[in-house]
Amino acid sequence: MSARDAIFAAIGADAHPAATAAALLARVPGLRPDRVGNDAVESFLARLTGPSVAATAARVASLAEVPAAVRDYLRVRGLGPRIALQPAAALRALDWAGLETHGGIAVDEAASVCLAAYAVAETGSLVFRSGADMPVLFAFLPMHHIVVVEAAGVVAWLEDCAAREAGRPAPRNLILVTGPSGTTDIEGVLVRGAHGPGHLHVILAGAGAGVAESS
Amino acid sequence: MTAAFTARTEQAIGDRTLKLAIDRTTGTARAKRAAAVADWPGFEQARELGRDIKDHVIAHLGHYLAEFERNAIASGAKVHWARTAEEACDITIRLCRSAGARSVTRAKSMLGEEIGLPHALAAAGIERVETDLAEHVVQLAGDRPSHIVWPALHKTREQVREMFAREHADPGPLDSVEAMVGSARRQLRMKFMAADVGISGANFLVADSGAVCTVTNEGNAELTTTPPRVHIVTAGIEKLVPSMAHATVLLRLLVRSATGAELTQYTTFHCGPKRPGDADGPDEFHIVLVDNGRTRMLREGLAEMLRCLRCGACLNHCVVYRQIGGHAYGGTYPGPMGAVLTPLLDGLPATQDLPRACTLNGQCAEVCPVKIPLPKLLRGWRDRSWREGLPPRTEVFGIGVWRFVAARPALYRLATRLALRSMRLFARGGWIRSMPFARGWTAHRDFPGPARRSFMEQIRGRGR
Amino acid sequence: MSEPKRAAPRVALFVTCLVDAMRPRVGFAALALLEAAGCRVEIPRGQTCCGQPALHAGDRDGGAALAKRTIALFEPYDAVVIPSGSCAKTVCVEYPEMFPAGSEWRARAEALAAKTFELLTYLADVRRWRPEGVALRGKATYHDSCAGLRELGVKRQPRALLAGVAGLEVVEMEGAETCCGFGGTFAVEYAAISNAIVTEKTASIDATGAELLLGGDLGCLMNMAGRLHREGSRVRAFHVAEVLAGMGEGPAIGEEE
Repeated sequence: MSARDAIFAAIGADAHPAATAAALLARVPGLRPDRVGNDAVESFLARLTGPSVAATAARVASLAEVPAAVRDYLRVRGLGPRIALQPAAALRALDWAGLETHGGIAVDEAASVCLAAYAVAETGSLVFRSGADMPVLFAFLPMHHIVVVEAAGVVAWLEDCAAREAGRPAPRNLILVTGPSGTTDIEGVLVRGAHGPGHLHVILAGAGAGVAESS
Repeated sequence: MTAAFTARTEQAIGDRTLKLAIDRTTGTARAKRAAAVADWPGFEQARELGRDIKDHVIAHLGHYLAEFERNAIASGAKVHWARTAEEACDITIRLCRSAGARSVTRAKSMLGEEIGLPHALAAAGIERVETDLAEHVVQLAGDRPSHIVWPALHKTREQVREMFAREHADPGPLDSVEAMVGSARRQLRMKFMAADVGISGANFLVADSGAVCTVTNEGNAELTTTPPRVHIVTAGIEKLVPSMAHATVLLRLLVRSATGAELTQYTTFHCGPKRPGDADGPDEFHIVLVDNGRTRMLREGLAEMLRCLRCGACLNHCVVYRQIGGHAYGGTYPGPMGAVLTPLLDGLPATQDLPRACTLNGQCAEVCPVKIPLPKLLRGWRDRSWREGLPPRTEVFGIGVWRFVAARPALYRLATRLALRSMRLFARGGWIRSMPFARGWTAHRDFPGPARRSFMEQIRGRGR
Repeated sequence: MSEPKRAAPRVALFVTCLVDAMRPRVGFAALALLEAAGCRVEIPRGQTCCGQPALHAGDRDGGAALAKRTIALFEPYDAVVIPSGSCAKTVCVEYPEMFPAGSEWRARAEALAAKTFELLTYLADVRRWRPEGVALRGKATYHDSCAGLRELGVKRQPRALLAGVAGLEVVEMEGAETCCGFGGTFAVEYAAISNAIVTEKTASIDATGAELLLGGDLGCLMNMAGRLHREGSRVRAFHVAEVLAGMGEGPAIGEEE
């Protein structure tokens, strides 16, 4: 008997459980932490920049203003005007004058600029779908991860993220980024930048009222 | 109790550095978890939902395994099945060899530890690079993990500094924990890019998509699984969830219980190998599904243990774990969950101390995010030990005599009177400082001298 | 003469093997408190031990045999009261689980479990009794014993009752809900671990500056008191029932009568 057959034989047959699986999910809406207010975008920013996720954020009126916001971030952080730019059409189409952009990513890359597919308000998470235009390593190799996300793309709950993904072809990697890389492996002391980015900066584009720095 | 366990616990208790290290990490973990739970009034009901989701999967394991396999294959993954640890290692080594692997990066997985994968890779002559910071420390020390979330919890910063200074190519000053983490970042960076195979575990296997979910805070899982040509997942068959939406319910519970955060920094669903045109990712994606005792747990009254999310909360809150640390348990998994799993994995005769070295105080079950009745399961092992005649003969004899006497009140009164009289011979000024049959107690504590006459004797004298 | 049942329930006091042998004062305190709370108290002569030592060792048959005789002995009463959360939990939680669902003994165990109470819970929640005219000057700290706390919900009752003792200040220790390391035979068999646990406990007791350590389970109290005494601490230990019954001026655990 193959290992597979042996394992199935040991488990025994069972009935199709689709209805009960769905019934379990029906209980979810009452059993979530109270994290999303009337304005999902505001809730997202509050989580994102709160002490737990510890990212920084800026808001701009439209994608066209993103390059200026990136330049501001690099200047304030004392970083050179160079970025690894994710090969996403929406980013490539912007005017990056004054910045040197490249399409590859080095192992010691200082900063990358990525476009998140969407974001989750509940946890302050950014969602990336890997693909030809989203190399996974862009989110992991640089020390500064600058992420553009459109305000219209903020969903409320993790379940909304699951619902968005259900029924569409899965990418190789669906990645939820919730803060800069961190470790507590030495005596429980939190240190950022363990392997992944030490800094996560989000530029939220569009919708919403202000264009002011939110943190 | 067995001599080996005594020796391990006494060594651990005598190690004040170890105690300091345990207290630092588990203390922080308990405080953060408590704050996260206090911040979510519905946590208790959410635990019930988490338990029900896991129970549902366990009750329909065959259905979900078949669904997962079907969808994983459809996404381009290769699915392998292993009944035992040996089979799982053999499959993994074979996959590494056929990939021509000289160097393998590995993202922490308790299942990998359980099946002995580090040893199997070494035996096969394949370089193994542990990428989780704690596992890196453990590897440099030639050590074993002592906690399922913080494997290097037993190492102090001073010990880590010394090792990094000795082993790292470019350690720098190492004058802070930040500097130590920076040194490890530099050390491991090129290893990530040069590996031929990346091996990860799985926090969840998503049946309706065939995806494998990993959670890390460091980002080492994605750096392990993206650059190499081959990504191998080793996962226990109990890691299934029906869908991503079910996984999110469990993620909320898992992360809060483990670290007190609301979500891990990197929560990634790996589905199949890289797609045509993808900028990066592995060409091959293999999933090794491992039984190694799990189907036996279904049959042997341990099905509830298959709910375990490996969050480590039961370890952090266990008074015994906090005194002896992880190594004293002698198995892959320490603490209360380890005391339930290790007898299954390593056999009860050699591990019968684990379920017995427990005060049954219930705090582990109280903090478990999926409400595993850990004390009940530990007692199940004690019952089995008794049935199999494993406890010390003196104990079996003692309980037998006591049983006989306790069922006969007149005899019981007589025995109590005699016992009190002889115990009082040892009492000085109300206290007993040393007494045969209770040396364990009196080695550390005084024993209150008993009453002159028992309650039942006195009450009889009062005509009640 | 028979009184109406509602007015004065016929209560069996199960003192526990540990109180019987080691500290009868707790039994007398429980008796006095139950009478003060308007109960007709009887002390069934056949009582010995609830069987917990056998059950915890894994001897299910031995445990079941003692459970059956304990059930038969106590089932005639309106209520059974036990001055120990640990032993009450054995009767209330473990007895029913020992017998197959639907069996006669399961039904009898469940019936007994439904009318069995830990003493302080019974006084506070069922009898709605409050101490009157009880005084004890001093500062005390209360340890939540695990079985009572987690299985029976004994938490607020002892504190509420102690609040009615004039002159007594109760201060909370760090980790009041953390196990003291007793665990029955665990304290002897795994003595080194048990000692390490209780040593942390006594440190947090001492840190409160309390003169009195109070609890609702004699086993835990003996463990903590024994360690405190070995360390030379001046903290004295009593069962809560003793304090409530006005016996808090008497000898503490380990002190000569």
